[in-house]
Amino acid sequence: MSLQAGVVEDVRDPGRYDHLCWAFEDAQEFRARAGCFLAEGLQLGEQVWYVGSGDVTALEDELRELPGMEQALHSGAAKADSIEAAYPTGTVVDPAAQVAAYARATAQAVAAGFTGLRVAADATALVRTPEQLDAFARYEHLIDRYILTAPFSAMCAYQRSLVGDGSIAALACMHPGASADATPFWLHATTQNGCAAAIGGELDLATRDLLRLALHRADLQPHNGELVLDASRVEFMDHRSLLQLVEHARSEGHMLVLRTAHPGPGLLIRALGLDRARVEIPA
Amino acid sequence: MSAATDPFVHPALFYRTDEEYLAGLVPFVLDGLRIGEPVAAALPTERLGLLESALGTEAAEVTLIDMTEAGRNPGRIIPGVLRAFADRHRRTHVRIIGEPIWAGRSDSEYPACVQHEALINTAFRSRMVTIVCPYDVRRLESHVVADALATHPLIWEAGHEQVSLRYAPDAVVARYNLPLDGTGGAASWTVRSAADLSGARRFAAAEADQAGLSRDRISDLELVVSELATNSLQHAAGACSLSIWAEADHVICESRDLGQIEDPLAGRRPPLDGQPHGRGLLLVNHLADLVRVHTTPDGTTVRAYFRLAGSDRPGPR
Repeated sequence: MSLQAGVVEDVRDPGRYDHLCWAFEDAQEFRARAGCFLAEGLQLGEQVWYVGSGDVTALEDELRELPGMEQALHSGAAKADSIEAAYPTGTVVDPAAQVAAYARATAQAVAAGFTGLRVAADATALVRTPEQLDAFARYEHLIDRYILTAPFSAMCAYQRSLVGDGSIAALACMHPGASADATPFWLHATTQNGCAAAIGGELDLATRDLLRLALHRADLQPHNGELVLDASRVEFMDHRSLLQLVEHARSEGHMLVLRTAHPGPGLLIRALGLDRARVEIPA
Repeated sequence: MSAATDPFVHPALFYRTDEEYLAGLVPFVLDGLRIGEPVAAALPTERLGLLESALGTEAAEVTLIDMTEAGRNPGRIIPGVLRAFADRHRRTHVRIIGEPIWAGRSDSEYPACVQHEALINTAFRSRMVTIVCPYDVRRLESHVVADALATHPLIWEAGHEQVSLRYAPDAVVARYNLPLDGTGGAASWTVRSAADLSGARRFAAAEADQAGLSRDRISDLELVVSELATNSLQHAAGACSLSIWAEADHVICESRDLGQIEDPLAGRRPPLDGQPHGRGLLLVNHLADLVRVHTTPDGTTVRAYFRLAGSDRPGPR
């Protein structure tokens, strides 16, 4: 497997990504990945939540079997929760309310003396219908923005065989990092000054529909009449993808600005004579 | 001949010496400047220097373009040089000198050059533009001069103008729509769906790297490969077969599909805002040092050439 920007090789080393998407094959893989992700949280003094399918007692038993978790469960540093218990079957997530709930939980964890809150969740049950998927993808971008501002981190896991590759990609592309082959590109929140979002990976005919949905779902905010994207992690962009971005910005009345040192987007803009897009070399 | 009604004028200037060159072109430039017409000259480097010196201070009023760079790939001369200049001055008649064919053009380049000359007639029909194309008839081969008679409705020679009786540009486009053979042994890659595009780019980059293409040009090649294969996926039934190989001082990338390019000006029209299609081939023309196309009802082959570093001239940027 090739190493790409944004592809997370191992959850033990997510690096700067505090919000990663993991497509897993079976329950055993989810448990192992979640265990690594949460163990790192414990080391950092965070409260850690293990959220999965099934009843809470069974989930606690699963968690207890993961290295170091028995004691953490006992002390209250680790907690198991059932996604079915928290969300009745068929629930369409309310993105803003869900972010608010995690913000409250993070504040409570900090008030209780933890350095933050870390959640590993198998969210497969929440993205089974198109309506659920759409709402959850919107939530993924909103929580991504929140994560940049608070001591909260999350691993959002989806079972590949139940969710399907297309839906996995639609969810994974809303994260700054994802497991290999989950998505060819990313559109995620950023702290870069003036940037509405960051975009990365490879953009071509294969991402046309995903990009359209992701732009729509992320509801990006312009800055002084310009839609500024941090494009420093873009590895490839064909002219159709650039035109998609330009058109998205234009439909909202904005100029597109791509912040990147790579020559590709600037070359396309000049060659196509686009007057509603420009490149800004990062300082 | 529609010269009487069509404001577009497209003579070939046949010259044998520097004196004949300047005798034909300097008055053309100065007359234009005198009546306020915008003038551009896109010529091979040394010809450009000759004209510039002869024009003296008036040269500052002329847009001077080195054709060996701007027109290295004949496929980008119409959008990138001729229309780029003419479209900036749509309200007045425009004068352009364009010399796309010189003695150093290779056998690979020539068919694209002569097709370009023929397509100028289609591209500028009804436009208020005069494009004079100088031909060094002393150094160019006789078949090149014969082709110029077919691609230009007017011939200027030794101070005289005559109508070309052999003018037949569409026949020239068809005659030089030549089969592109000889990829034996080239590495190949098949693109059947959009999911294969990423792998195709990696394949092309690895092959070009092995052939010694620079990193910047590999980025350009990746874009060309992606745009060609995407065109195939969108416009042709079935797969796109990509091949890549090194030949003399070029890396050549070829795409084959089962579609046909019906529009002879595809990839030669400047991009217009609000026109979402037809920009892929334009980009390929912009980026490659040469583009050759063979298109028939049975399929289309496109070859994009990239000069290897150390060649005598830089690639386009």
